[in-house]
Amino acid sequence: MRLAGALAATLVAGVACCGLRAADTPPEQALRDHVPKPGEFPPAGAGVQTAGDLVVVDPMNRRGGLRIDRGPGTPEKRLFFQMLPYGMARYHGAPAELRDIPPGTHVHVRLLLPPEAEKDLVPPLSEEEAKNPANRLLRYTHALEIEDDFSFYSRRGRAWKVVALEPGVGLKESRFELTLDPEGPAVEGGVNERMNFVLDTSTRIWKERRLVSRDAIEPGQIVQVNLTWSMPNQKQEYGITDLWLDEESRAAFTELQRENHLMHQKSRFVPGWVDAVENGDTGRGVVTVTLFGGMDPSLYEELETAKDKVLQLTVAEPTLRTWLYHQENAPRGNVVSWSRVPEPPPGSSGIQLKLDVELRQGFMPGRVVRAKRPGWIYVLLPHDEWLMSEADLQKASKWELP
Amino acid sequence: MNRCKTLNESRTSRRGGLLLGVFLVGCSLGTSCAGGPLASAAAPDGDAAIKAFVASHCVRCHDAVKQEGGFRIDTLPLDCGDAGVAEKWAEALGRINAGEMPPEEEPRPTAAELGGMLEAVAAKLDAGLAARMARRDPVNLYRLSREEYAYTIEDMLGVFVDNGQPGGLIEDPRFHGFERVGAVLALAPAHMERYVRAADAVIQAAFPDTLPASQTHFQSPNGNQKREAGDQRPAVRWLMRPSLRRGLFYATVAGRYRIRFVLSGLPSHKGRVPHLAIWHDATKRTVAGIDVVADEKSPTTVEIEAWLPTGQFNFLNQAAGVFAENTQGGTPMTVVELKLPARPDGLKLLGEDGKPILPLLLVDSVEVEGPIVTTEEQARRASFVPAQGKEDDPAELRACLRRFAERAWRRPVADAELESYEKFYAAERAEGESALAAHRAVLTSMLVARSFLHLEEGSAGERRPQVNDFELAARLSYFLWSSLPDEDLTAAARSGALSSPEGLAAQVDRMLADPKIERFLESFPRQWLQLYRVGMFQPDPVLYPDYDPWLEQSMVLETTASFREVFRENLPLGQLLDADWTMLNPRLAIHYGLPVPKEPGLRRVSLKPEDHRGGILTQASTLSLTSDGTRHRPVHRGAWVSEAIFARTPPPPPPNVEPLEPVPSDQPKATIREQLAAHSTNATCASCHSKIDPLGLAFDNFDAIGRWRTHERVEGGTGDDPPVDASGTLPDGRSFAGPAEFKRLLAESPDAFARAFVEQLATYALRRVMTVDDAAALDAITAQSKADGYRLQSLVRALVTSDLFRKR
Repeated sequence: MRLAGALAATLVAGVACCGLRAADTPPEQALRDHVPKPGEFPPAGAGVQTAGDLVVVDPMNRRGGLRIDRGPGTPEKRLFFQMLPYGMARYHGAPAELRDIPPGTHVHVRLLLPPEAEKDLVPPLSEEEAKNPANRLLRYTHALEIEDDFSFYSRRGRAWKVVALEPGVGLKESRFELTLDPEGPAVEGGVNERMNFVLDTSTRIWKERRLVSRDAIEPGQIVQVNLTWSMPNQKQEYGITDLWLDEESRAAFTELQRENHLMHQKSRFVPGWVDAVENGDTGRGVVTVTLFGGMDPSLYEELETAKDKVLQLTVAEPTLRTWLYHQENAPRGNVVSWSRVPEPPPGSSGIQLKLDVELRQGFMPGRVVRAKRPGWIYVLLPHDEWLMSEADLQKASKWELP
Repeated sequence: MNRCKTLNESRTSRRGGLLLGVFLVGCSLGTSCAGGPLASAAAPDGDAAIKAFVASHCVRCHDAVKQEGGFRIDTLPLDCGDAGVAEKWAEALGRINAGEMPPEEEPRPTAAELGGMLEAVAAKLDAGLAARMARRDPVNLYRLSREEYAYTIEDMLGVFVDNGQPGGLIEDPRFHGFERVGAVLALAPAHMERYVRAADAVIQAAFPDTLPASQTHFQSPNGNQKREAGDQRPAVRWLMRPSLRRGLFYATVAGRYRIRFVLSGLPSHKGRVPHLAIWHDATKRTVAGIDVVADEKSPTTVEIEAWLPTGQFNFLNQAAGVFAENTQGGTPMTVVELKLPARPDGLKLLGEDGKPILPLLLVDSVEVEGPIVTTEEQARRASFVPAQGKEDDPAELRACLRRFAERAWRRPVADAELESYEKFYAAERAEGESALAAHRAVLTSMLVARSFLHLEEGSAGERRPQVNDFELAARLSYFLWSSLPDEDLTAAARSGALSSPEGLAAQVDRMLADPKIERFLESFPRQWLQLYRVGMFQPDPVLYPDYDPWLEQSMVLETTASFREVFRENLPLGQLLDADWTMLNPRLAIHYGLPVPKEPGLRRVSLKPEDHRGGILTQASTLSLTSDGTRHRPVHRGAWVSEAIFARTPPPPPPNVEPLEPVPSDQPKATIREQLAAHSTNATCASCHSKIDPLGLAFDNFDAIGRWRTHERVEGGTGDDPPVDASGTLPDGRSFAGPAEFKRLLAESPDAFARAFVEQLATYALRRVMTVDDAAALDAITAQSKADGYRLQSLVRALVTSDLFRKR
């Protein structure tokens, strides 16, 4: 194989490998078909892993659509998904929100079956569609993890080594063929062999934190790439949107995304859910919250070291959207306890805290909340992010697919 | 400088800054205390202690030869009945107490010398003060307290005088809690101005040109009309969470109103009961309130009848909560039924099971009717006004004025006394005033007459040793009813029936059975136990978030209801100190951590030893009234016990007391008791505090708002909160391990308490401080009551039928 068709074949093979083998043992099937429950994180390895181009994004509700990778001759499928409340995104090697990943980016996604209460959130397949084995993957509509190639490979200690850059055979002059060898350990669900990618005049090439020309590409360089669908022809091909030639550039992009992430979470607060509530009868109570995982560690540290152990807590929905003036509707409480478990399940930070706080109706076990430290950036959210009414909630509870 | 340090009240710092002071106790408990200051004042030991101290430590600089600072002590009399003498002894006591005297270069007195001297001088000062306050002239005037004024007007004219209104009658000064001690109830021009204004308002309300018509206001969340039968639309209800209030009505006329609610009252999941309250906007206070319990599906009708001033009224759910201090207006949410709301961002009202976690009211409708004037009240008022057509008939006018004056002044009125009023009426008429307006002016002036504002006892130019029958009737009536004698009692005075023991006993029996006895049952314990101090220093909302106005009221209600129970059941007095029952409502039960009654209202509840309650000493009211809003103050508690239970008032602390600093952050946590002990290393201090501190430290198991605890919460410091040590030893040597044993010890020897109680009761009844001259009579009343175990009703009867009660 000499071009992106090999990639697609490899990715499709990865999908099959991760989830949809007919020969799975009953425990493997149970893990694959794990149904998320409110208040419980999924076990490690639950669900299926797949990849494709992110082609639809609803940033407010944390929803998206994938054009699933396919091999030559296989039909193109689109898979719509809802990020689980504890679903984690990474972009450019740093924690992210779905909104940070531009449409068109090739991403790797771990998907679960929908929770019982959200079976209809992503419109289910018709009976006819469901019968088609090729559509089996489309039943997995809730995302636990999503990340771009940069994050996916670098997080696993993998990079690429430049072999050659040549004008593409049979390609227009503006398009080149970049041959890369895997550098580092083999990655499950990833490409682990020499690969040719399309590099054209729209590709951003980064070195020493600057945009550089193709001339800067040299054999032997250790690089990372972000990919995208390249051109509609008979074969599935992948182009490169960004090519990072050195560590300095990669670190700069990671840091920028990390800052972006911090700004976002500090203004929207760190999500978690309620494990238990000890209701008082004077308006206060003790709320036990487990914070969701996937955040930059500094956020947890800032919460843990808040002055006078005071935190604020506001009610959120599974989409992580909050109600009205979330800043004002976040009562202050006193941290009664703070604990960590060493190896938390996927989606969990492993941090559990107890907050003595004025209670809101949504402070109920299984419900999503968001916590902030007083003094974090005060932002009046754009109104399109607010939930203002029961009608808003109804509207957000079902996705009308594009 | 020597300084004994203990807690004194301070509001300067929320978590610390408690001031240190000295309480010198002029008595000890047990039999040695039975005579109290009255006995101490006459004690030769006291005189000897003073003389010995003066000879050893004072005369070298303050005798005839060397009068340092112009002060000579060797010829200063020991009788402090003279104010000038008392002032000099007070100065000496202050200097010695503060450690200024004797000077540093002089030999130091021993602890025993100093303690004995200070104790004796304090007793002398007390006795002198009592003698001066009780001094009797040919005519003694005892001004009505404003509470008595209000009850008198209400009983006479059916008009309510609202003492809670700004601009109303001036708050009366208290003498150790008592609001009716004549010697301190002065009459200043400022009082007269208020009395004139009050009388004018009272007469105007009682005799208006046109009686205001009673009106009815109805409102409901379904509209301002009552629902018609067969209305199929789902009825909605106002959902009132704690502190949410809604407009009730605007009273354009002050008067008695009847407010009728149809509603459900749903207790919280812990049994906390919603409290329906009527709120007066202008004065920002609750004027009436009631706990409500009724199932959501079975609403109840609650009727509140109350005197209301003019202004806007609201109703609210005043149950405790973090919102208690933040009563919010606005329209309550309307609901058809209670269920989890779709929006989760509001306050949490319902638990995971859909049941209320907060006390909630679901209100269907509210109806206000008033002002209400009964036909009986109208008839009573009519007797004071000439009949129509006879307005200018002199005989009719005189008859009306006589009826009014004799009622108001509580005695027969001579014709000559009425003549000036008749002339006043004529002058008003001549000025063109209507007959009613002129009559109002005359009646107003009668209500500011000395004879109305004061109880007069004695006759000019005559030294009577006893009160006459009319004075006795008034004394009796104001003692038991806080108001004027009714017609029966007046008739008994007029007929001479009160002079006979049988006649007096019959009237007392009748009065004790009258509903107006409730006034005594509320007012006496409130004044005796100084319950006005409850909530004086509002508990810190951070430290005590559960504290709320209804809890504060409930605390006082428990104490007055306990007194009422002892009275109604004619129980021994000892039951006030130690009992296996108390009077609880749901709010207090929650506060005490006891099973919460399912029904609203105060009711008698049996207690077990592990409940740690029973008796007034372990009630939240008396435990909290000595606190400073942040922490308990054991020395103040001891001083209160000394004063309220043993009628012994410790002298005040010396000047320049130092604050007790908060526990430093690097030091182990320490209880207040431990901090006091660390400061009280001085022998002089210890000699005084050994007498008073045990009375307060015995209750260290109770925090500043009277909750039971085994460990004392200490702000700052290192380590865990330290355990409480409530043990101690009484001055008579008996030791106790905690509050239960302390109460038992007191209850086991009730004589001292009974003697003190009789003294307090007599102070309240006779409106003067008891003196050494009264000691024998008080002893006799106490002894008479001992035979039946100091039962409360019997004790009251013994007092009112005693010679002391007739004595001027």
